[in-house]
Amino acid sequence: MTPHVFYELKDAVVGIAGLGGLGSNVAVALTRLRVGKLVVADYDVVEESNLNRQNYFADQIGKHKVDMSIENLTRINGEADIEGHKIRLTPDNIPRIFKDCHIIAECFDRADQKQMIVETVLSKMDDVVIVTVSGLAGYGRSNDIVTRYISDRLVLVGDTVSGIGPGVPLTAPRVGIAAYHQANAITEILNDRLKSK
Amino acid sequence: MSSQLKINGETKTFDQGLPDTLTQLLETLAIDAATVVAEIDGRIIERKSFAQTSLSEGQTIELIRFVGGG
Repeated sequence: MTPHVFYELKDAVVGIAGLGGLGSNVAVALTRLRVGKLVVADYDVVEESNLNRQNYFADQIGKHKVDMSIENLTRINGEADIEGHKIRLTPDNIPRIFKDCHIIAECFDRADQKQMIVETVLSKMDDVVIVTVSGLAGYGRSNDIVTRYISDRLVLVGDTVSGIGPGVPLTAPRVGIAAYHQANAITEILNDRLKSK
Repeated sequence: MSSQLKINGETKTFDQGLPDTLTQLLETLAIDAATVVAEIDGRIIERKSFAQTSLSEGQTIELIRFVGGG
């Protein structure tokens, strides 16, 4: 990647809705890319069961995911600009919290919450792109996880069928593949926008 | 009378005529409305409007279905 591209990504603002297996890892990738600013939101604290796939550490159990993500990301880049929101996201507060974002990564766990934010962004936030995930549970089948460009404003990552359930756990490798698909789609969209300027 | 919709890129034929509404289409396809985002001809349809959204011949419909995990 050229220095020119790095400079331009400094102007980008990306939202991350949820800091679990997807969001905590998308945030790492975008911080390493030196995306200009991240707006991150989650209401939860780090639990021991999170450590199998989420970017936290054992000594962070019990602490807020927003605080711990900022701590970890700042260790990657001491100048990272990260705006944290300790809040449960709703159709009413999403447009306000992510108002400055060009792209939002949907990083929730529950299917109905994924539906909620995608519908909210597409119906209430003009020109904002949402990169969402459906189908990442289990292990293996790496190449079943794909990135689909549904429309100018909607990107869908995943195999679309592998939901969490009995005998189908969430694992670090497959959640990580999906998270890095998301981060890669965001990188591509930001760069395509620059090329068209 | 058979009618057609383009759903997720594939043409689907309804031999008994189109479902009247988006809600009825989802029921026909056995899709849970709580976990689907719907676009008709590129326009987002909010879930609260599914029951009032009537369908017509030849529309292009995207149904993005979500499963849990993240």
